[in-house]
Amino acid sequence: MRLEIKMPDAATTESEIRIVRWIVQPGQKVARGAPLLEIESDKAAMEVESVASGVLGEVRFQAGESVSVGDVIAVLEVDGDAPADVAAEPTSATPAKAAATRSPVTAKPAVRPATGGAGMFARNRAAVEAAQAAVAGIPLSLAQRTTAQRLQASKQTIPHFYLQTSFNAAAIMARRQAVETQPVTWDAFFVLAVAKAIRRFDRFRCRLDGERLVPAGTDAIGVAVGTEDELFVIPVHAPAGKTVADISDEIRRGVERLRGGDQEIRRMQPALMTVTNLGMCNVERFVPIINPPEAAILGAGKVRPTPVALASGELGVQHRGTLTLSVDHRIASGRYAAAFLEAIVTELEVME
Amino acid sequence: MTPPQMLPTTPGERPAAYRPDLLLALYERMVRIREFEEGVKFLFLEGTMPGTIHQCQGQEATAVGVCAALREDDFITSTFRGHGHALAKGLSVQELLDELFGATTGCCRGKGGSMHVGNMAKGMVPGIAIVGGGIPVAAGMALAFRMQRTARVVACFFGDGAVSEGAFHEGVNMAAIWNLPVIFVCENNLYGASTHVSQVMRDTHIARRVSSSYGIRADRVDGNEVLAVYATAQSAVAQCRAGNGPVFLELLTYRLTGHSRRDPCHYQPKDEREAWAAKDPIRRFEVTLKSQGLSDDASLEAVKTRIRREFEAAAAVARRQPLPTTQDLTTDVFA
Repeated sequence: MRLEIKMPDAATTESEIRIVRWIVQPGQKVARGAPLLEIESDKAAMEVESVASGVLGEVRFQAGESVSVGDVIAVLEVDGDAPADVAAEPTSATPAKAAATRSPVTAKPAVRPATGGAGMFARNRAAVEAAQAAVAGIPLSLAQRTTAQRLQASKQTIPHFYLQTSFNAAAIMARRQAVETQPVTWDAFFVLAVAKAIRRFDRFRCRLDGERLVPAGTDAIGVAVGTEDELFVIPVHAPAGKTVADISDEIRRGVERLRGGDQEIRRMQPALMTVTNLGMCNVERFVPIINPPEAAILGAGKVRPTPVALASGELGVQHRGTLTLSVDHRIASGRYAAAFLEAIVTELEVME
Repeated sequence: MTPPQMLPTTPGERPAAYRPDLLLALYERMVRIREFEEGVKFLFLEGTMPGTIHQCQGQEATAVGVCAALREDDFITSTFRGHGHALAKGLSVQELLDELFGATTGCCRGKGGSMHVGNMAKGMVPGIAIVGGGIPVAAGMALAFRMQRTARVVACFFGDGAVSEGAFHEGVNMAAIWNLPVIFVCENNLYGASTHVSQVMRDTHIARRVSSSYGIRADRVDGNEVLAVYATAQSAVAQCRAGNGPVFLELLTYRLTGHSRRDPCHYQPKDEREAWAAKDPIRRFEVTLKSQGLSDDASLEAVKTRIRREFEAAAAVARRQPLPTTQDLTTDVFA
C-alpha cells in the first residue's frame, strides 16, 4: 500500500518548514518510529519519525526545500501489516476535506488549509519561488535568524573595543611547507596560539554574569565557519593539549560535517573564544563582532609579503599577517587586552 | 547536572506483600498510558491529530502509583500534561482520544482538547494548563470536602516548574494552616519546559524546602518505581483522610520525550537521557513482576499487544466522531 507522508505540524507559527536532509533514501527500508528525515522549523531543528514501517518510495522535496504543514513530502510503500487506522483512511482525503464533510461549520482550529499545496510546487517551483521572493523577500533560515539575533544583541549591548597588530608568519609558513600531504589549516595555528595565550589571562576565560565574572565552564576555542549562506562556530575542545595537525584535522572534519548537514554540529555550542579568519578571501584586515557570551574574538587577515624595518635598521621583507582583537570592555581593559594580543603574537611567531 | 539522590525505596523491594491482581493492574495501567502516548505521537506525525500535545512517556509510574491509592470519588487536578493522569484516574481511552480529535463525544465535548482533559464524574478536574494553576484549586476543593464532612481527598499533580509560582505558595500554605486533605504531587522531571531545576532554584531538594517552609510532611520518592509511589501515596492518603493533611510528595522522574511535540529536547544531555531511559518505570516493573514469578515475557507482550489493538480501534472510531457545530458554540461556556 502507498502511504503519503505529510509534513507534521512542527512549527509554532504559519511559517514553512525546511527539509534539512533525508535520513532514509528512496528504496531503503524504514521502521515505524525510526527517524525518516531532519527538518528545521521556526523554532528548532529536529528529526521526524516514520509513521509506518515500509520502503521509502518517491521523495517529493529535497534537502533545502521548504514546505507547508500538511504537504505530501514523500510516499512510503507500506508493509502488509500497516496500522489498520492508517490503511482505512483514504489517502486522497486530506484532513481538511475530511473535517469539512463531517460538519458543515467546523470549529476545529488546527487543521490548517494548505497554503498553496503540493500542486503549486509541482508545477513550476522555481518560477513561483522567484515571484514570491520578489514580493515577499527572502525569509531567513532558523540558523540565519539565530545568528542575526545574537550578533545584533552583541553589537548593541557589548561595548566593543578593537586592538590591531601584525605578526611575522615565517614560523608558520615553514611549518606548513614542511608537511607534504594535506597542509595544516591557518585556522589551526590561530586556535592553538589563542588556546596557549589565554591560559595566562584569567579574565578572557570568564563571561559576564550580571555584575560578576564567572568561569566560562569550557576550554574550547571556536572557529567561525561560513557555509553558503549561514554562519556556524565549530568548537575545538582543549586545543592547548593537541598538535596543530590534530586541530587542523578536527576543523576539517567539522567543516565536512557541516556541509553534510549534520544537525549536531549546527547547534550552538559554548566556547571560550572564537577565531575568525578571512585571510584566504584576500581581506587585509577586518573587525569582527564578539560571539556572546564570550569576552573577545580574534579576526585574522591575509598573510602577505610586507616591507618591514628590521632591527638592524635596514628595510626587509617578511610574510606578515594582520590580527584584530575585538574585546568586551566590561571584561577587560585596553592594557590587559594588549598584553593578551601580544601573547598571541608571540605564540604564533614561535609556532613549531 | 546529576539527578538528585533518591530515598531508598523499601516498599518496592518486597512486592510480594501486594496482591498479584493489583500488581498486574498497575502494570496494565502504565502500559495503557505508554501505548496511548506513543499512538497519539504517530497520529500527530501523520497530521491527523490537531494542535500540539504534551506527553508523559517515562512518567507513567507517578500517575498510576498515586491514583491507585485513591478512591473513585476522590479527585485529582492535573496540568497540560494530563493524558497519563486521566488514564490512571479511570478515564477511558475512547473519551480521551475523542477529546484530542475535538469531537463532541470527548470527555470535554471537544472543547478542551489535549491540555484540558478531565471528567468530573470520574474524579478528575479538567486539566489546568496554567503552570501551578491547579494548586489553589485543589486546596479549595479540599476545603469544600472538609466543610461537607466527607473523607474525600484531592491529589494535586504539578511539575517542578510550578514550585516557583506564587500560586504554589498560596495553595500549599493555606492547605497547611488548615490541615486540608490534599496530596500535593510534584512530578519533578528535572526540567520546566527546557530549563533545568538547578537554574531556577538554589536548593533542588524540593521536598526538604517544602517541609521546612510549610511545616508539613514532605517525602521524596523514586517516581519511576511504581510500588514506591503507591506505598507512599497510600500512607499520604490515609493521613489526609484522618484529618492530618496536607502531604507533599516529590516524585523524581524523567520525561523521555520533548516538552511538547514541537520540542526536539536538545537540552537533555545524552548521558542523562540514557541513564533515565535505563530506569524506565515500565521495564523496571516488568523485571519485578518476572522475578516474583507473577508474569513472563510472553504474557507481558500479550498485554501490550492487546492494549495497542484497543488503542488502534479507539483511534479508528475517534477520527470519525462528530465535531461540534455552530449550535454548540455557546453551550458549556461561561463567558
